Amino acid sequence: MSTANNPDVAKLIEKLASNDACQRAEAAEMLCHACQACPNGETPSAASLATLPLVRACGDCDERVREWAIAALEDFGPPPIDAIQHLVQLVTDSKPLIAYWAVTLVGRSGQSAASAVAALAACIDSSADLSVRQRAAWALGQIGPAAFSARPVLLQAAGQSDSRLALLASEALEAIGS
Amino acid sequence: MAHKKKETNASSSFFWTALTTIATLIGGAGATGWVMPDLPWLGPRISALASTLGLDGPQAQAVETTKPDANSWIPSTAAPGIHAPSAPTASIAYAPSAAAAQPSRLQPAPASTPASAPAAGPFAAPGPVPPTTPPQAKPSDAVLVASFNIQVFGESKMAKPQVVDVLARVVRTFDIVAIQEVRAKSDAIIPDFIRAINADGSRYQHVIGPRLGRTASKEQYTFIYDTNRIELDTASVGTMRDPADRLHRPPMYARFRVRTAPPERGFSFWMVDTHTDPDEVSQEVDALADVFVVMRSARPDEDDVILLGDFNASPMQFGRIKKIPSIGWAISGVPTNTRRTKTYDNLIFDPIATREYTGRWGVVDLQNTFGLSIDKALEVSDHNPVWAAFSPWELPASQGALMQPAAIPMPVPLR
Repeated sequence: MSTANNPDVAKLIEKLASNDACQRAEAAEMLCHACQACPNGETPSAASLATLPLVRACGDCDERVREWAIAALEDFGPPPIDAIQHLVQLVTDSKPLIAYWAVTLVGRSGQSAASAVAALAACIDSSADLSVRQRAAWALGQIGPAAFSARPVLLQAAGQSDSRLALLASEALEAIGS
Repeated sequence: MAHKKKETNASSSFFWTALTTIATLIGGAGATGWVMPDLPWLGPRISALASTLGLDGPQAQAVETTKPDANSWIPSTAAPGIHAPSAPTASIAYAPSAAAAQPSRLQPAPASTPASAPAAGPFAAPGPVPPTTPPQAKPSDAVLVASFNIQVFGESKMAKPQVVDVLARVVRTFDIVAIQEVRAKSDAIIPDFIRAINADGSRYQHVIGPRLGRTASKEQYTFIYDTNRIELDTASVGTMRDPADRLHRPPMYARFRVRTAPPERGFSFWMVDTHTDPDEVSQEVDALADVFVVMRSARPDEDDVILLGDFNASPMQFGRIKKIPSIGWAISGVPTNTRRTKTYDNLIFDPIATREYTGRWGVVDLQNTFGLSIDKALEVSDHNPVWAAFSPWELPASQGALMQPAAIPMPVPLR
């Protein structure tokens, strides 16, 4: 994911790492605008470049940075394929918002994210954050049959007391098939 | 079908309905698309002429009414898992409006004291319209209802005066705006915004819901309304209870009434503000079908429900909503995002029950309307405001197809 062809985005990504919260917030907002989905549904190049920095920005200490990063990610389509392996490393991040958005983007990749199944299953099993566990169940459902190895974890989740987690796990099991 | 507090003089009602229809048709009914609300010029002139001739229309009539009961929620069994609250305001966080400094009978009551509503009913006692003249002339023959997703409406946005100016001008165009995406830890954002709106002498107020969302990132809904023309039923405000957790941000509802008409004749209606999760659109849209059904039966004296907001779905993706008998929606075939690629925002209602719908709707193109570059328009929001116009007079629900306002061009697909 080279930024060489998109120097403006490269500068914004650099600014996103600034020590100045105002600078980071401005960068996150401008990246949000730059990353709006293309009319034809393709992922804009800016979004491809900014995926990982924006997911990490969801854990920023400044509220403005977090909210603009989240707003940007909400509008993303599936992330670029080569970002998935990096996103997988973030699904277990200790900051719940980083983990949540990494899981969400992995889920949007659908069957292309088969390599993330073990990490997502681990999320359901061990994440301390309920929203991350729920979203991981959803993501496995998006991956579909390729997530077959996650069935035991999903079966367990389907029996959990949290009704939403149980529902999403059941739906994932249905999508995965037997 | 719920029956409303309407005992009308039939001939007068027919006269006014016919007059409104003619005025609307000539004055621009059905005008759609990329426009500011193009207010029909003929309606006000006919009203003025009627007034000159001593034909004061429905305003002149004394009408017996049934007082709405502030606590008349009816638990519905039609939609398992989603309920209107059994006690109003149970989960709402009221915030005092910036306009609270001005004397008004329409202050949002604290959640713990819903009984503080005027004894005559949940709406404020009838009174004259405040003397303040609205800075922008609004149509006398219509109430303009809008929805606006103001992307990440928080400190960053409020720190940009040019953005606040555009947002304030948008709000002043309408009688009520349902806003989505208030995202701020501070409670001062909306009161500050109300001050900006009212800086020109307007008298807008707001009612805001609690922070909602499954993660640490929360959003609030708010309704901002022109107190010169609209009043809030302070006992009928709340957030949908969603025990099955089907909706990321359960809708906020509030009941309003037009106050430019006598209280017993003014159009009253529920507004239900929603913003779906883009990753679970189909499930949430189906849940919203249940929300609509629940709200429609929430009060026996209220049959008008306007479900509006950012659905992250075009009408083609409305799922079970489309299966609600006679359901319709205002926005169709026109993009509602700032980049003009998606139709995500809408106003959904039953045009048979809500005959007050005039057939006029639109999308305010921020770029064209305010002469902004795409980058500057995106600083305001990634969504354009969407709106629909309704009669200020309460009309009885149609009893059948013959009662439908078929003469009015309606972009709402009737099913």
